[in-house]
Amino acid sequence: MYLFSERKARGRGRNQSFLSILHVNISMCTILVRVMRYLILIILCLLLAACDGGLAPPPPLELGFSGTVHFTPGSWPTDSLINLWIFASQIYPLDSAKVYSGLFSNTPTIFLYPSINESLQPFNVDSIAYSFPLHSGMYKYVGVIQQTSFDLAGQGIRVLRVVGFFKDSTDSSKPGIVHVNDNYQVKEINIDVDFRNPPPQPF
Amino acid sequence: MGIVFDAKTREPLAGVNVLLRGTVRGTTTDTHGKYLLRGFPTGTFDISFSLIGYTTQTIHQISIQPDTALHLDVPLTQAPIQTEQVVVTASRREQSLRDVPVSVSTVTSKMIADRLSVTLDDALRYVPGVNMMSDQVNIRGSTGYSRGVGSRVLILIDGLPYITGDTGEINWETFPMFQIDRIEVVKGAGSALYGSSALGGVINVITKEIGETPEIRFRLFSGIYDKPSYSGWNWYSTPRFNTGGFFSYSNRVGSFGYLISASRSVDDSYRVTDVYHRWGVYSKLNYNFSQSQSLTLTANIQWRKHGNFFWWKSLKEPTRPADVQLDGEVNSERGNVSLAYKNILSDQFFYSLKAIYFGNFWQDDSAQQINNTSAAHFTQLEAQATYTTSSAHFLTFGLAANYDRVNSNIFGSHPGVGAAFYVQDELMPFQSLKLTAGIRYDWQRVWKEIFASPAATSPSQFNPKIGLVFSPGPITTLRASYGEGFRYPSISELFTSVSTGVSQVKIVPNDSLKPERSVSFEIGGSQWLGERVFLDLALFQSDYYDLIEAGVNPNPPIEILFSNITRARIRGLEVGIKTDWFNRFLATDFSYTCTDPVDLSDNSVLKFRSRHLFYASLAANYRQWRTELNFRYVSRVEAIDENLVRLAPIVDGDQRVACKVVDAGVTYNLINTGLPITVGLTVKNLTNYYYVELIGNLSPLRTYYLSLEGVW
Repeated sequence: MYLFSERKARGRGRNQSFLSILHVNISMCTILVRVMRYLILIILCLLLAACDGGLAPPPPLELGFSGTVHFTPGSWPTDSLINLWIFASQIYPLDSAKVYSGLFSNTPTIFLYPSINESLQPFNVDSIAYSFPLHSGMYKYVGVIQQTSFDLAGQGIRVLRVVGFFKDSTDSSKPGIVHVNDNYQVKEINIDVDFRNPPPQPF
Repeated sequence: MGIVFDAKTREPLAGVNVLLRGTVRGTTTDTHGKYLLRGFPTGTFDISFSLIGYTTQTIHQISIQPDTALHLDVPLTQAPIQTEQVVVTASRREQSLRDVPVSVSTVTSKMIADRLSVTLDDALRYVPGVNMMSDQVNIRGSTGYSRGVGSRVLILIDGLPYITGDTGEINWETFPMFQIDRIEVVKGAGSALYGSSALGGVINVITKEIGETPEIRFRLFSGIYDKPSYSGWNWYSTPRFNTGGFFSYSNRVGSFGYLISASRSVDDSYRVTDVYHRWGVYSKLNYNFSQSQSLTLTANIQWRKHGNFFWWKSLKEPTRPADVQLDGEVNSERGNVSLAYKNILSDQFFYSLKAIYFGNFWQDDSAQQINNTSAAHFTQLEAQATYTTSSAHFLTFGLAANYDRVNSNIFGSHPGVGAAFYVQDELMPFQSLKLTAGIRYDWQRVWKEIFASPAATSPSQFNPKIGLVFSPGPITTLRASYGEGFRYPSISELFTSVSTGVSQVKIVPNDSLKPERSVSFEIGGSQWLGERVFLDLALFQSDYYDLIEAGVNPNPPIEILFSNITRARIRGLEVGIKTDWFNRFLATDFSYTCTDPVDLSDNSVLKFRSRHLFYASLAANYRQWRTELNFRYVSRVEAIDENLVRLAPIVDGDQRVACKVVDAGVTYNLINTGLPITVGLTVKNLTNYYYVELIGNLSPLRTYYLSLEGVW
């Protein structure tokens, strides 16, 4: 009996030893699985963090120049204002013929913003910010031009008058030159407009 | 004598530090794990055996009898995390990392190989608290944009300064990467031991010793750049490669050891004209007069030819340089010869004599016409002695003298001399408490022309330091330190007088510049959390005085003048957590550094600093396989120099984002096939993330590398 009990006890001991080893291995596996879960989560977070791409090329740039047109308060005409444009001329000084050919020839040298068919808007405000897309080049005369009558086609440039221009930084009686390049938009081309006291007309 | 081996694998361990405790005597094991200690008196000693990655083993009460050889084989057990490693930079002598009162990080040769770091700056990118801005090193915010005008971190090679004599910069590519044993980065002002340029910290590159048996080593790598996702950035139809390798042979015949190695690399680059060609030769000769006397001669020379890419054309074309840089090329030769003599006079006293010559020659050519040239010669002699009465007291003192000479068409011709004396005392009044105090005196003169008065005089510098380490138990360490640093103005800051050739901005000389100064405080501690997790925490503050910045006169003619104009303060926190699971089957390393860099002259954010650095490394080892994933996050630089961007001009120079880069790699060791070769596949910038470290410079695109490394 004693020996049988002893044998049974030894057998139980062997079983317990086996169970102990099995228990340790299962514990280690459990720990390993938990650690792997956390590490996989960390790896995914790190990869996600780096997936936004970073720097990107800038959106296509509208070359040209931009700025603000400031209107003298109370100077807006109550009539005789049909259209208003910002113009940029590669030629200066101008005469009637040059203005006409600059605007309407096949190789224009005078450009209007927003377009010949669309006026600068709104009216009767203190200022308008604008962005004038233009190809690179030298623009010797930049300003704001007013159409005073409907008959542009019939009367030609007689219905146009310059109401303000971008001034040279050293001599405000002369127009400033705007150099448009291929790399960036020229900024701060600001123009003051006083409808009651327009500058000398170039044509 | 004996053999040191791995307790688990029974393989011999090379490079184990064997130290006779309480003396300055020691040695290292060779590639077969063998060590030999000779020539010390009879008595009873403790001998410690330490190696990175293993628990230090100390054998107590070893009795040495006359005319009796004692054979002692020692097993070392792998330590879960490296805390028992030995460093030399913090106190100019070997000591355990846990006894150092400042924050120190190390990069081992294995880490360099695992990450396939080709240049030294690449190897430093994951060091906690270190931020690389392209080739400018920044420790805890100490450095901003200092291109061409001097480093605020001192770099050493085997303890000797390695800064160019003209611009005071670090030339990362000159370092023989494949001969590096380890890199130690000491954070905080370190001028009390090392003098000028140790304003923000000290980086010491320690080269490998020559082994006892013949050894052949080589590494070959070839990388291919991926293409940018954006078609406008893509300029190449044929692949662009980054390829190179090195080969070395070393042997020891009796007391004479020698090593010779050669390296070559060609980087086609992902950017137009940014091609690099590098050649290098490195050699080391060592003669042991006896067990206690040795003489080592080291020579290293690097040739380099590369394009002159300063900044991009625009963010629309970041892979192309500005038009004025298109045809530029720079040729350079840089190298050093150094001599080191060590003599252990007794168990308590040893001294060393060192000398280094560092030559730096370059010229940039544009359209076959030489534009700028510079030849800088730097020579330093140094004598250092260490005296110890017991393992509880070390006194280190030394003298240094240097001579500089620069000849350049943009810096002028300027000689300079300097001298220094330093002393440091380390006491351990109790087993758990260690105190350190030191001071260094520096004197320097630089002349406008050869010894013609007046000299550009810099005030003499006194830089003290104090430190404390308290270890209440084996798993806890507390530390505190105070130190001062300074940087003499570089030749380029004092005397540059020319338009640089890149733009028409004129740089004006200012020979009345004062040295920059810093004061650093740190308190920190480390703690084991259980057996697998190690935590390190540090709080620090550095105050900077008379920082030299480039002031710009924006009205034509545009002039740049260097002046002492900035007073700054940087406070911060650094946390590091290392874990090791299942006997290095899995290992992780996380670090986070947060700084508050303030320009006190106008209470604004200091320019060119990132507030947050986060680095993470995950590694898995299984038999011959190893995989590693590394991530680094550097927060977006808040403030830059708008004048520099506008006047250079650097189109889109203000464009920058946070850096979020993932590097991954896998290696397989072919040792089971009989070949001692490791094959590796590495992908750098795994997600092809686009970012800048330096304004106007797109950082490298995703690159795939294949590497082979072997040791016989």
